[in-house]
Amino acid sequence: MKEFFQLAIPGLMVGSLYALVAAAIVLVYKSTRVVSLAHGQLLAFGGLFFWIGLVALDLPLPLSVLMTLACSIWMGWLVERITLRPLIGQPLISAFLMTFAIFMALDGIFQLILKGESKTYATRLALGELDILGVPVRVVQLISFGVVLLVFLSLALFFRHTKTGLGMRATAEDHQLSQSTGINVRTIFSLIWIISATVASIAGMGTAYVMDIHFPLPYIGIKGLIVALFGGLDSLTGALFAGLILGVLENLIAGYLDPLVGGGLKDVAAYALLLIILLVKPYGLFGLKRIERV
Amino acid sequence: MRPCGTFDERYSQDMAILRIKRHWAVLIGALILLYTFPLYGSYYFISLINSLSITIIIVLGLQLVSGYCGQISFGQAAFMAVGAYTSAILTGKLGVSFFIALPLSGMVSGLIGLGGGAPSLRIKGFYLAMATIAIHFVVMWLILHLQITGTTQGLHPPAPRMAGFEFDSDEKIYYIIVTVMLLMTYGARNIVRTRVGRAFVAIRDNDLAAEVMGIELYRYKLLAFFISCFYAGIAGSLWAHWIQMVHPEQFTLLHALNYIGMLIVGGGGSIPGVFFGVLFLRLLDEGVMFIAPILSSVFPWIGIHPAASMSVSVFGIVLILFLIFEPRGLAHRWEIFKASYRLYPFSH
Repeated sequence: MKEFFQLAIPGLMVGSLYALVAAAIVLVYKSTRVVSLAHGQLLAFGGLFFWIGLVALDLPLPLSVLMTLACSIWMGWLVERITLRPLIGQPLISAFLMTFAIFMALDGIFQLILKGESKTYATRLALGELDILGVPVRVVQLISFGVVLLVFLSLALFFRHTKTGLGMRATAEDHQLSQSTGINVRTIFSLIWIISATVASIAGMGTAYVMDIHFPLPYIGIKGLIVALFGGLDSLTGALFAGLILGVLENLIAGYLDPLVGGGLKDVAAYALLLIILLVKPYGLFGLKRIERV
Repeated sequence: MRPCGTFDERYSQDMAILRIKRHWAVLIGALILLYTFPLYGSYYFISLINSLSITIIIVLGLQLVSGYCGQISFGQAAFMAVGAYTSAILTGKLGVSFFIALPLSGMVSGLIGLGGGAPSLRIKGFYLAMATIAIHFVVMWLILHLQITGTTQGLHPPAPRMAGFEFDSDEKIYYIIVTVMLLMTYGARNIVRTRVGRAFVAIRDNDLAAEVMGIELYRYKLLAFFISCFYAGIAGSLWAHWIQMVHPEQFTLLHALNYIGMLIVGGGGSIPGVFFGVLFLRLLDEGVMFIAPILSSVFPWIGIHPAASMSVSVFGIVLILFLIFEPRGLAHRWEIFKASYRLYPFSH
């Protein structure tokens, strides 16, 4: 049993971060119908900004968090304004390809800044470890788990109780109808990208703590997409549960099956799972099934 | 668009790819130039043409499945790997001749591609794109962990050999690669104007409407995947015997993403577009490789080796520009140029 907890609890911690990336992707999909590959980069840049604040500029922790959030708000706005707004009205598949182009463009810049090195701020934020069910867990990871839950809660409240949030839900339903009720759809698109980039950068701060800022970091975005598809592309609850499930499952599969096949299962397990999900339940656990007309 | 007064009077005229004598002259001239190139071309350009031709074959396959049939596939690099490994195993371990292994590796890759196309029964659009990404990772994981593929060591297939003649250098294998590339282009050009190609276009434009018209969706989608993976397999086999080394590192997701980018730049739904896309992005890449060291000596803060990351960035920015300003790609420009050239001095 101890082995199970040793695998499951770190899985839960990482899974919460997957859930947060997935939430960022779900936010964008819900109101703009665009599936985004670019969030991996938004996440990686979140981690990078935080590292620049905390280590390179040696700022205090609250200030570097603020700096990261400000930078990612700016980035989210820029991405929407420059690349996606000209595509409004074009086929959705070209917006999808556009997010992929953004991924590539930012990937080059990310690597140019890193210069092939690996950066970390884990040593700067050493707060010790806590014992949970006999498994030592780093306190920072517990805090980030809490932050994830807080973000999910505030998103849920935002969509249920604020006027902007309700406007976003209306936009998700139908662009033209919501425009005719006086909602400015363009502003909503801008806002949603800003919120989504912020959420992604929060996930980035957490992820970069666990796995260092290194060239594979942006590919966590693909994991986020898998989680989003698993939970259903238009469901925030789905993103939360699917993220936690995937995080735990990944670790369990790696822990129990790796000795049998000779390692490396952790990376491929998520993709194999994705294939099964897409074949069995293409709209995910909590997703809405869309009915099409010709 | 043709100028008015140009009529096709016989069926063969209507079906001709090369309509007038000038087309034939250009074609024959280009073929002579291409086939005599190793006699006077430099080593750099010969290997550039080799790699361009292989890339063209892959992107042709991608054009058929994504540009014509509308099923976006990120799995092209993995299927190229399947072809490369099949060919390496057949020739290296079983001693089969390269010229038999080449079509066989295309077939094997195509058959595995049928498995890859299976999700297209239930899902489409970006769901399918994600499924092909998943397939990429599963295939590459299998290649890394099966004994027969040499795991992380890779394989070393021998050079092609025919009647005692060994194609063991870039200049010699150039002839095989270019010939296969021309044949595959001819094949693709003809597939898209048959019943199958028209069915692909109908599925791309509206799959439900196509089904209502009596096109068997699943059959044609699978066929598109089979053909595209066949192309990838052929390209992989050529690649394996040209480099004489296959390794999982040669077939990453980044390669597959690059092929998609070439398709976007070239323009979907056009065979010449493939050539434009591949040429444009490869030449851009070479340009970045050339300019990056100069930039890094002028601005030292960008690092010593900026070429790799800069080319990724430039690639992304070019894609963004194309998607905003020229979503139909260079092929569309080419059509406009052809029309204005033919109609000169009139504008319509």
